[in-house]
Amino acid sequence: MSLSRERATQKRLALPRIAGRDRAGTRMNRLRRYFRHGNIGYLFVLPAITYMVLLVGYPIVSNFILSIQDVTVTTLNALGKPLVGLRNYQTLLADGVLQRSIGNTFLFTVCCIVFQFAIGFALALLFNMGFPLAKPIRGLLMIPWMIPMTVTALMFKFMFSSNVGIINQFLQACGIIKSPVEWLLEPRSAMFSLIVANIWIGIPFNMILLSTGLTTIPNHVKEAAAMDGASKWQSFLFIIVPMLKPVIESVLILGFIYTFKVFDLVFVMTNGGPVNSTHLLSTYSYKLSFVLFKYSQGAATANILFLILLAVSIFYLKFIYDDRRAE
Amino acid sequence: MKRFLVSALVIFAMLAVVTSGAFAQSKKTVTIWNYWETPKHQETLARVCKDFNSSQDKIEVVTKYIPFADFKKQLSIGAAASELPDIAIIDNPDHASYSAMGIFADITDKLASWPDLKQYFEGPLNSCKLNGRLHGIPFGSNCLSLYYNEDMLKAAGAKPPKTWDELKSVALKTTKGNVHGFGISSVQNEEGTFGFLCFLWGSGNTSFQIGNANGIRALSLVRDLVKSGAMPKEVINWTQGDVMNQFISGNLAMMVNGPWQVPTMRQQAPNLKWNVVLLPVGAIPASDLGGENFGVVKGDKVDEAIAFLKFVANPAEMKTYINDFGYIASRRDVAATQFTDDPIMKVFAAQMASAKPRGPHPRWPEISDALSLAMNEAITGVATPEAAAAKAQKTIDTIINTK
Amino acid sequence: MTNRAVRLRSAVLGAVSLLIFVVIMFPLYWMVVTSLKMEIEIFKIPPTLLPHVLNTDSYFAQLQHGDFNMFRSFKNSFVISACAMLMGLVLAIPASYGIARFTFKGKRAFVLGFLVTQMLPVSVLLTPMFIIFKSVHLLNTQLSAILADVTIGVPFSVLILIGYFASIPKELEDASRIDGCSRFSAFLRIFLPIASPGVIVCAVFSFLYGWGDLAYGMTFIQDQAVRPITAGIFNFLGQYGTKWSYLSAFAVVTIVPVIFIFVFMQKYIISGLTSGAVKG
Repeated sequence: MSLSRERATQKRLALPRIAGRDRAGTRMNRLRRYFRHGNIGYLFVLPAITYMVLLVGYPIVSNFILSIQDVTVTTLNALGKPLVGLRNYQTLLADGVLQRSIGNTFLFTVCCIVFQFAIGFALALLFNMGFPLAKPIRGLLMIPWMIPMTVTALMFKFMFSSNVGIINQFLQACGIIKSPVEWLLEPRSAMFSLIVANIWIGIPFNMILLSTGLTTIPNHVKEAAAMDGASKWQSFLFIIVPMLKPVIESVLILGFIYTFKVFDLVFVMTNGGPVNSTHLLSTYSYKLSFVLFKYSQGAATANILFLILLAVSIFYLKFIYDDRRAE
Repeated sequence: MKRFLVSALVIFAMLAVVTSGAFAQSKKTVTIWNYWETPKHQETLARVCKDFNSSQDKIEVVTKYIPFADFKKQLSIGAAASELPDIAIIDNPDHASYSAMGIFADITDKLASWPDLKQYFEGPLNSCKLNGRLHGIPFGSNCLSLYYNEDMLKAAGAKPPKTWDELKSVALKTTKGNVHGFGISSVQNEEGTFGFLCFLWGSGNTSFQIGNANGIRALSLVRDLVKSGAMPKEVINWTQGDVMNQFISGNLAMMVNGPWQVPTMRQQAPNLKWNVVLLPVGAIPASDLGGENFGVVKGDKVDEAIAFLKFVANPAEMKTYINDFGYIASRRDVAATQFTDDPIMKVFAAQMASAKPRGPHPRWPEISDALSLAMNEAITGVATPEAAAAKAQKTIDTIINTK
Repeated sequence: MTNRAVRLRSAVLGAVSLLIFVVIMFPLYWMVVTSLKMEIEIFKIPPTLLPHVLNTDSYFAQLQHGDFNMFRSFKNSFVISACAMLMGLVLAIPASYGIARFTFKGKRAFVLGFLVTQMLPVSVLLTPMFIIFKSVHLLNTQLSAILADVTIGVPFSVLILIGYFASIPKELEDASRIDGCSRFSAFLRIFLPIASPGVIVCAVFSFLYGWGDLAYGMTFIQDQAVRPITAGIFNFLGQYGTKWSYLSAFAVVTIVPVIFIFVFMQKYIISGLTSGAVKG
């Protein structure tokens, strides 16, 4: 190591200059010095990130490669799969169903997140108020999350059925509607039904995460605010929400990504119907790959989903995410 | 770090070699992938395999169950990862696609001297072919016919319809209150196309024609049935099982369905008075050929697989299992002896005479999607039969004309 | 507040919660009722709120169905979910601690990295993962499903736990260092207990993600004997249609043990979930 480099290292690490001992020493010492301060964080993250890269990195790359090839029924077992660049993307972006899927996915995700979060938060606040039934009921409200997704989807499909569904029956019995609504047979009401079902499934996720977040807010903070004359609403807006910011952010970004990817619910309830009007990017990708055997186009659709989520996450990390430095 | 990774990879590689070497046995194992989930089917299949295994000692047949909903996906993944069985049961319209993908072996030459081949019905046998070459043999067949509720028709003073016009009027007559006159599964996938083709072919078309007057006639039939209120729009969400459930619950007077529903119907609705007749005729009698084929997968076990197939295709052996599977045999000689005391199944056997196979075409799933989409558009009223037909024909032409 | 006011408040809040509970849980009630009806009654118009004829066959049929054995499948599911949960936590806790408490370059990149691994839909992950597992000869073993389920639990846990670890004030950490604790024992004795609500929540969700997983368990495992319980759904969702009462019974039977586990562990879970407020 050159002398000037050593000096620079010592300056950077603010090491004391020991007379006669300017050389930086063995490689072990250098390693130890590198990791003595913040950089040891790398070691903590290494196992998890290595694991994820090994298992998920390869699929991401191979999916991208598949999307720029031309793999269909006839070319699947061909030895040299033709590279067609962005042609799959061009075909897809001109496809009405794909355009609709993008819009559907955004609409679905935003509506679900807004309501799941609001209802989950409201319930978390309610159950945080400390009354006898709070804990057992909150625990039992986790059950929607535990039911296999396929069964939930079939149940909702059955409940929304035009002639044998309980929802129509109930609405008619209450006089709210006069004749049965064709929930899953019209594009807009079908989207609505899907959103309602997904909100139902997602409430426990939001509720429990926000609930545990709420419990980390010390009591004395809330009491001090009450003593200072803050109303319940002010205390909520200016004390609770800011203190919960990390939890809220995590819940929202994770919720957005998971909801954007939802597949089973839509696949089972409407399979993208009626007439391709409720396809999400995930279901359309599946249909292209595994039903129509247009593997490359399916991969390209999945990649479009990926790129949208990537853009959203980069935006989140740049403008919203706090470094959450330990104060 | 790098050294660790390299040594880990080396260890894995060594393990792989060792474990693969350990399986060099004297008996050859033939794996069959199937999607029969009912216990009865699984027992019957196990029995057939046991019969084969005990009849000789060179080959052992093993079955693996992959659910129907997952089957095609698993085959695709297996093809990409070279992890395939030695024989796969395959729904007959999909056979050509998988042959085109290079999964199934061409066994035309190996079966050239097999006399039994002549006994097979043309329809099922053609579904195993790609470009004239054979890639498997049929396992069993079935088709669609018309079920009707005897009480409901009698109460409306109607007889089971024989033509399309009679179908429309009888359906209308039997529609009252919560009951609809007619239902057919119209989901936008192969199941829906399966039913719709009965009408498309009945109008005189082939699988690849819909944009002409015949096609418009077929689409108009389903549209008129919905418009008049005789058929519920919800059929676009009903599988054949859902349609059957509606029928046995008394919500439908007539339905188009297959013989596989009969055991369930007899068990779930023993007091329901129902019967089966041939499908109403449009221009020509037509029904859709269902049923499964055996596909022999490319690899080093082709001869063993064929040995199993020949055993299973043997008429004496076939007679022991084909009824338990609820199939009509794909062999003429066996089919003639079936269901001598089951009048309902006899109707389906008779319908086989006018049952046509779908395609076959390696890109059949795309064609099928265009057809069921057209049917859905006509039913939901999103497009007129003319527009839906034209759009579907455009898609089909692009597929057929590209190589 | 006076005693009477407290009781009144409890009663009102209790009533409101019960009402919300009944509304939200109605689909679950509908599922249980459907499981007890005969197939014919399920599709009756108008639908009946209570079964007219009780159908207990649907529950007996869950035990054994051809190749499928309920108890063995439960064991499989439990092993897969528990292992996925543990492995996920072992990977995620250090990672989130590292990102939360240390300053180093590229922290946001790591967070983005974890998020990125969640961005592809499961259907396109199946084929490449299948190829990976095939090449290391893990196909048809529970380990393949475990490893796959961990890829869902880890990023989720990392993101949630970062918030918990970061919210612990530095004074606590400094105080423990002054007392002579190494960084590692500070981690064990101070951070982990305070972040335990977060850790427990991540454990619960990781377990449930593993329990509810269908795609990975079905695709990488072809042996019925090794498949998790979710595979049993296809017993009633076959080629020829859905057996509604059996399917609903299956769902009930699948979640009952999970409910039992939670009720049994409630003492630890609820106390873990609701402890941890930094006092003073």
